Amino acid sequence: MSICRLIYCTVLLTFLFASLAPANEVQFENLAKPFLENFCLDCHDAETSKGEVTLDNLSDISAENATMWKRIWEQVALKEMPPRKKKNQPELMQRLEISNWITDGLAQALKNKGGYHDHLRPIKGNHIDHDLLFGGKHKNLEPASTPARIWRIHPQEHLVRLNDLISPKRKYNPERPGLWTHGDHIPTNLEGETKVYFGLDRYLGSSQQYEVYVRGISGFQSKLSMINDHGLRNYPFLYSVNSSEAMQIAGVAEKILRFMAYGPTAEPYQFSDSPFNMNKIPPQYRRLVIYDKEIKRPLTPVYELMETPGVSDERLNEVINFLFEALTLRPPSKEETAIYLKIVNKSIEDLGKEDGAFLGLTPIFLDRDALFRPELCAIGKPDKHGRVMLHGQELVLAINGAFSYIRPQTDHLGTALAEGNLKTPEDVKREVTRILNDERSRKPRVLQFFREYFDYDRAGSICKDEKSLQKDGGHFGTYYSAMNSMIANTDRLIEIILHEDKNVLSELLTTDRVVYQPYTSGADFRPGILFKTDIAYFNARGKKRIPYKEYVEIEPTKENKLVIERAKRLVHDQNKLHHIFPNPAKPIYVRQSPFDRGRAPPAKNSLKAITTVDTHERLGILTHPVWLVAHSDAMDNHAILRGRWIRERLLGDAVPDIPITVDAMLPDEPESTLRHRMRVTREKECWRCHQKMDPLGLPFEMYNQLGIVRDTDPRNNFGQPVDTSGEIILSGDPALDGPVTNPIELIKKLAASERVNQVFVRHVFRYWIGRNETINDALILRDAYKAYRDSGGSMKALLTSLLTSDAFLYRKVQGE
Amino acid sequence: MAVGVGMSLLPSYAQVANKIVGGPKRIVFFLQNHGFAPLTCIPKGLDESCDLDGITLAEPMQALEPYKDRMHIITGLHGHHTSAGHSAYFGALGGYRGSQGVPPAGPTIDYALSQALPQTILPPLCIGMESIESMKARPTVANLTASGPNQPIFMHCDPNMLYQMLFGSIADGDIKTLYQARSNVMLDVERVAKLKAKGLPRGESERYANYVNGFRDVNGLRDKLSKMPKQLKKYAPEPDERYTAPKFETDWHDALLEIGISALQANLTNVLTIGSGCGEYFGSWKGLGVTGTGHGLGHVDQPGNDTWIKIRQYNCEMLVKTMKALEAIPEGSGSMMDNTLIVYTSNNGEKQHTDGSNWPFVLLGNAGGRFKTGQYTHIKERPINDLYTTFLHGVGAPVDRFNMNKNMADIHHSKLGPIEELLA
Repeated sequence: MSICRLIYCTVLLTFLFASLAPANEVQFENLAKPFLENFCLDCHDAETSKGEVTLDNLSDISAENATMWKRIWEQVALKEMPPRKKKNQPELMQRLEISNWITDGLAQALKNKGGYHDHLRPIKGNHIDHDLLFGGKHKNLEPASTPARIWRIHPQEHLVRLNDLISPKRKYNPERPGLWTHGDHIPTNLEGETKVYFGLDRYLGSSQQYEVYVRGISGFQSKLSMINDHGLRNYPFLYSVNSSEAMQIAGVAEKILRFMAYGPTAEPYQFSDSPFNMNKIPPQYRRLVIYDKEIKRPLTPVYELMETPGVSDERLNEVINFLFEALTLRPPSKEETAIYLKIVNKSIEDLGKEDGAFLGLTPIFLDRDALFRPELCAIGKPDKHGRVMLHGQELVLAINGAFSYIRPQTDHLGTALAEGNLKTPEDVKREVTRILNDERSRKPRVLQFFREYFDYDRAGSICKDEKSLQKDGGHFGTYYSAMNSMIANTDRLIEIILHEDKNVLSELLTTDRVVYQPYTSGADFRPGILFKTDIAYFNARGKKRIPYKEYVEIEPTKENKLVIERAKRLVHDQNKLHHIFPNPAKPIYVRQSPFDRGRAPPAKNSLKAITTVDTHERLGILTHPVWLVAHSDAMDNHAILRGRWIRERLLGDAVPDIPITVDAMLPDEPESTLRHRMRVTREKECWRCHQKMDPLGLPFEMYNQLGIVRDTDPRNNFGQPVDTSGEIILSGDPALDGPVTNPIELIKKLAASERVNQVFVRHVFRYWIGRNETINDALILRDAYKAYRDSGGSMKALLTSLLTSDAFLYRKVQGE
Repeated sequence: MAVGVGMSLLPSYAQVANKIVGGPKRIVFFLQNHGFAPLTCIPKGLDESCDLDGITLAEPMQALEPYKDRMHIITGLHGHHTSAGHSAYFGALGGYRGSQGVPPAGPTIDYALSQALPQTILPPLCIGMESIESMKARPTVANLTASGPNQPIFMHCDPNMLYQMLFGSIADGDIKTLYQARSNVMLDVERVAKLKAKGLPRGESERYANYVNGFRDVNGLRDKLSKMPKQLKKYAPEPDERYTAPKFETDWHDALLEIGISALQANLTNVLTIGSGCGEYFGSWKGLGVTGTGHGLGHVDQPGNDTWIKIRQYNCEMLVKTMKALEAIPEGSGSMMDNTLIVYTSNNGEKQHTDGSNWPFVLLGNAGGRFKTGQYTHIKERPINDLYTTFLHGVGAPVDRFNMNKNMADIHHSKLGPIEELLA
């Protein structure tokens, strides 16, 4: 390194470690100009203008040149520029320094024009180089922390809390861990709806079952919005609650309160003992929902308020305190109770006890802390870095909120706080360990991470062109329900692997297990009924079917009818199993919504099956139809998206945003393979980015757009053999780079890579800390990875490490 | 949150509005989802611009035959850059990249126009029409209209809730008492929300302010509406059984249109945006005898298709209803319709799975004489943004470009200024 370079670097590093001073202190002249001169202007001055990019007229960052600076940021941060073949390359630290200078500058320049937050989005988290985080000695790093903030609750979190007010709390059953339990997320039904229902548990039946059932049982979906896109979705800065959402919450709050008081809105003749006889219901009432007389919902102070005549401040306070705690997960302060008492009393004065109470209590549902979780550390003396450790209720809620959407019935955290045992990182570690090891304490947040990481839950919203779907072996009428079924099945598989807690990522990527639905919801075994189950998607087209067992007809009698149905089903399944799955299956419960258009009375939980696959055909989640479909489009696979997924979530790299000058579309050639149509990405200006994606996604051409293994006969593939070759390039790990012949080989290589496991740790960090990692988090990430690795790939060890780190525990309250 | 599109290019529409005297007063946008096949509106073989006098409209649009003299059919505009696919979502009225889950990159044209036209208290008003289940489950949904980057504006899909919101203050008896009590509670909610804003760090308080301002806007609107009972009473629709016990989804569609028309007549709003299909790719029209629902409706060829004849006829009946209602109200030297422009199109180009290469528009009215009428115009190669620029010119709030920065203009064949052939 030349003397000049050395001095330059020292100067840079000093600036860097002065806690990455804001851009207006580090001027364009001192940093950006020398950088541009040294690394960029040879090719990008007015004379050379390579790629039609001219940089010698650039000055300080402003709104007018923001687009160009943003492009520079991405190109430099991702090591796209200078071109890799050039010898004169910036050091990683130099890249980081200029990167931070640019993003700080953009935030300043665009402050009053909508702001600039692109670099804070989860998808840009990989823009800080992996080798900086996991390699090199960093001295004088600033101790990690996260800015003080409020975090809008997740839509599921909201739904679970509201559901808790009106539905019975099912206890955890260790014999049937797959059953829906109090604290689990609200499951989606086969239609793709995620809803909380009023009185579903009391539903006994109705005549004209389907129509009456569907119309008669009401419910509500989440009123909070969520980004409907790939990847991690829930960073605090992305969300608020708008007026429309708030008004809807107020509306549903009233319905909930009424239900809490009175139960289902129905006439007396709609209530019956269980089991009930439809013939005993007078004919004119049969086209109605019949409810069980027995009350099933929790009876709360709201119920008691309405059940007993009269009203008093004392009773109202009881209701307010109960509701406040249920909705914010903490007890109200005296002031808060007093505020809400005043509101409800005024409302009762206007409208009388009943309407007044229901209206007057709705504001509690709109309390800031019912919709946002505060991490403000408003009280507490900041240390010399401007940090305060989370404490008190905020710490309780942060620990609880790392796992759960509600407070558990036995309030260990509250007790620890009250007894003065929730002050230190060791205290936190103790509590986190306890929660992680307690199966009864449901942890839907953990499953949600894997949904956002793998994106398989998007399969249910991928629209398919009807003709193309049928050509590829799907059935249009049942496609969506199959996808929604398989999403729930994949949830269950992931839970099983998490429960085993060994080599979690590697196991997810290479497991030979699959959970699936083996039979149809109707006992009809016509040939070809296969399409109604999700077995059809695990199929391999063109494979010959060998019957496993002959079915011998038995004369049906009244007594053996049900036995025959079951036997028929079993043999049928075995027949199908034999040439789709190599081994017999075991039963397993999966959480699916009880409310389903196809089923009435409501299904309690779905009984499915778990078995193993032929590992020449499939290996791990990336070969499950839900992942493949989630990364496909209306008519075909989306190899580019699949490749991008691997590039980002496993290799820790990223692709810059598509330049606005690019019209990125593949040619419309219905008689060509996707691989052939993707030849256009090999144009020089495209390949620079596409080389990072295409060779990783193309091996999955082994499957068609529904995740079904393709028929290898070229006659069924536009005259081409099925080409599943690909390549790992520019992974940053030379041992990992190299060609692959099929997706199985690709997955095995990736799963075995240390780098891939480290990238996984980065994503876990992002989800739980709620922001992208910075250089100051490097040591935390290394510790977390070490904990994961040394424990044999335990998610619990990984989470314990992260949740006791400064990044999780400390909030920056000053120096912003 | 997109950087680059339209961010530094927003003229201050509100300033321009003060300069307008007479002339354009209101615009109605009607977007039917699943695409707008040109052959469902113009006869086959028509590809040269011409007078509408000698042309007979296709069967689905027959209801508009008597109005050809005030009609302008435009084909040939493109929306390649909006990713129309199944729906361009905010990109349809925004002229930028849309697609499911993509937040709006900037204001949409209906919002921009609402700021440019003479101001009213609720600009713009957006209504959405879907299946009954959908409208009940999602009484507000945002897919088409935005006031700025990442700032969607919601369509109202439940006519009862919308009626309450706009006309609740003029109701009588118990409803009035309830309305008052609700107002009191909402004011308290705003007050409590403000209290809890104290002590938030700066970035957080801005985000939290969105939440608080939501209540402020709701309460502000209630306040303004409560000061105009006479006007509200004159134009308020009658919420009958169609509102409270709808037999079909079309009952609610009709009710929503009624409220929208009333809002125009009462000058509560200057822009009404109607999303038939809510800007997505589903929808239901059982009340017309259409048996299919959902996004399969978009997977058929529209010309000659029974379902699409029915749907488009229904759309046209709504347009006629709107025109007649506005003709009935005197304004200036004529009627409200004289100062109105209606824009009929789709949020999905000409069909589902489109690449956006031909995006038809039917305009009705000339908003005070600024827009040409009685024509069919085929435009070669200009983006829908240029049509939106033309609208702004037409209402007296001229801009160089709409949501189209210089660098993109060449690629998208966007020219500076309005499409001259469309302006009188």
